[in-house]
Amino acid sequence: MSKSIFNKTNVFIALQYLSARKKQSFLATLGVMLGVTTFIVMINFMTGVNDFLDDAVFNGSPDIIIKPEQKTTSAKKTFGTRILSLKNIEELDIFLRNQENIQAFAHQVISPAILVSDTQQLPGSINGVFPSEENLMVEIERRLIQGKGFQSLDNENAIVLGVSLAKRLQVSVGDELKMILPNGKSRQLQVAGIFSFGITTIDNVRTYFSAKTLQKLLGQDNAVTAVHIKLKDRDNVDIKTRISQNFKDTIVEDWKDSNKTIVIGNKVRDILTWSVSFALLLVAGFGIYNILNITVIQKRKDIAVLKTIGYSSKDIVFIFLIQSMIIGLIGAFFGVVLGYVLSYMISITPLDTSDFIIVDTYPINFKVIYYLLGFSFGLLTTILAGYFPSKKASKVDPVTIIRGI
Amino acid sequence: MILQAQEINKFFKDPERHQVLHKVSLEVKKGELLSIYGESGSGKSTLLYILSTLDTDFKGSLHIKDQDIKTLSPLALTDFRNQYIGFVYQFHYLLPEFNVLQNIMLPAMKFAQKSNEEIKHDALLLLEDVGMKEFAKRPSYKLSGGQQQRVAIARALINDPALIIADEPTGNLDQKNTDIVFDLLKEITEEKGKTVVIATHNSKIYKNSHRTLEMIDGSMRL
Repeated sequence: MSKSIFNKTNVFIALQYLSARKKQSFLATLGVMLGVTTFIVMINFMTGVNDFLDDAVFNGSPDIIIKPEQKTTSAKKTFGTRILSLKNIEELDIFLRNQENIQAFAHQVISPAILVSDTQQLPGSINGVFPSEENLMVEIERRLIQGKGFQSLDNENAIVLGVSLAKRLQVSVGDELKMILPNGKSRQLQVAGIFSFGITTIDNVRTYFSAKTLQKLLGQDNAVTAVHIKLKDRDNVDIKTRISQNFKDTIVEDWKDSNKTIVIGNKVRDILTWSVSFALLLVAGFGIYNILNITVIQKRKDIAVLKTIGYSSKDIVFIFLIQSMIIGLIGAFFGVVLGYVLSYMISITPLDTSDFIIVDTYPINFKVIYYLLGFSFGLLTTILAGYFPSKKASKVDPVTIIRGI
Repeated sequence: MILQAQEINKFFKDPERHQVLHKVSLEVKKGELLSIYGESGSGKSTLLYILSTLDTDFKGSLHIKDQDIKTLSPLALTDFRNQYIGFVYQFHYLLPEFNVLQNIMLPAMKFAQKSNEEIKHDALLLLEDVGMKEFAKRPSYKLSGGQQQRVAIARALINDPALIIADEPTGNLDQKNTDIVFDLLKEITEEKGKTVVIATHNSKIYKNSHRTLEMIDGSMRL
């Protein structure tokens, strides 16, 4: 005789109660829907921005940078003419090759320089790279707007530069550029490629040039001004301390040091997303709690009657719980749908930025997991909100109610 | 013997300890229409809640269909009540969210021994018996008091229970409707062989019952 409480009859009774309060049920469903929608839109947008920044910044800049330590005494001597090089570079290479967590590393030769085009003259820096090494560090092909990537640097006179810098110099691929180095040497270059990382701080200054040619021009054949490292596990930066212990006169920076604002920004966005979504679902939950609570108080007689005609306390719990579950299911479903629609609309909205980020539309992350999360959160909130009034309903004592008239 | 109650004592603890039933014993035979007569406050309603197994907080013993009520768990008791006892209240208590037919079907849907189609068929037959067939689809709150009470009687009968307990079933009705409801209850015993226990202070009812017991201040008058 004891059957599962999840039976057609209990569902039928629950549906009957819901449809008897259409307006309230509709409003409660709307509340859940808005909670889930907001959660999905916010998390899609916020993680979209986070992922975009991560991708642009961390692909465009190395996880760890090793630089020579600039001593105040030697600064005077080297100022103007000679660039500061890392010492013991062979030893450093051997050390780095033996590290577990290093995916790739690349030598850099960076020198201040003045770039002169037909119309413009800009001070900047020239970044000499070894194409075979740098290919493992930066996915330049994905970022190219025009021309070619690192393979073009086999040509001694080729330069690849960021889109904003190209714009300021008013050059495009194939145009001539003159580079003047601190030691007075100059060279006529040809623009071979233009890239965009979508981040102004990179696109505005970054140039790629052949490291070997730059070393020759500077007259410092083996000078390496920095080593860039890409890690396998970016969050594990233990290697940083090991390098500084083994190699004196170096400064080691990790991506967290170099991108503090972005790291903090990501954290703030995460906190915002979760707290706002949580607050909204909480409000929706309270709405359902209130409605069911009032229903239980108003319907005490009916609950008493159900009990006298053979419905158990468990049946009563289920009859009320199923009402909030139905509200939750429908609300969460439409919340997910509306969340997707709104996210999609945001993702095709043109975005006019000039300062920090360069993108055409808002970055949105459409990961399925967030939709599943939003749906489960919505449902979980309603089940929790429905549980307490349901429990209260099941405790109604029929004798007290029937006697109490 | 459908019902045997022996030496039932009942106390109220609130606001102070107070004995409402004193050693009440009674037996009810199958097919009997028994009325319990008493002034309000005599304890007849309290006795009825105990006999209908809604109230299990009492001293003494109660057997219905040879089943000792006190040995049943709350869940088993709910099922027992669903199967063997039909209840009619002074205030009919139909559920307003459901129509007349659905109200009658609810106990049988819980019992779940028949398909919903069969239950519907049975419910319509019962509605015909109580003369309410044309109201089957009407929302229950759109009926008059007498009509609601007839529907409540049909609801009490849907699971073909061994015992029907009616607490002041005519207490809220005019003379005409009182006659209709009482005639129905009598018909149930005489034509269908059901057992009915009625608590009442309507003289017409207790005079026309098969047997009458009187309660005074929580005791059965012998």
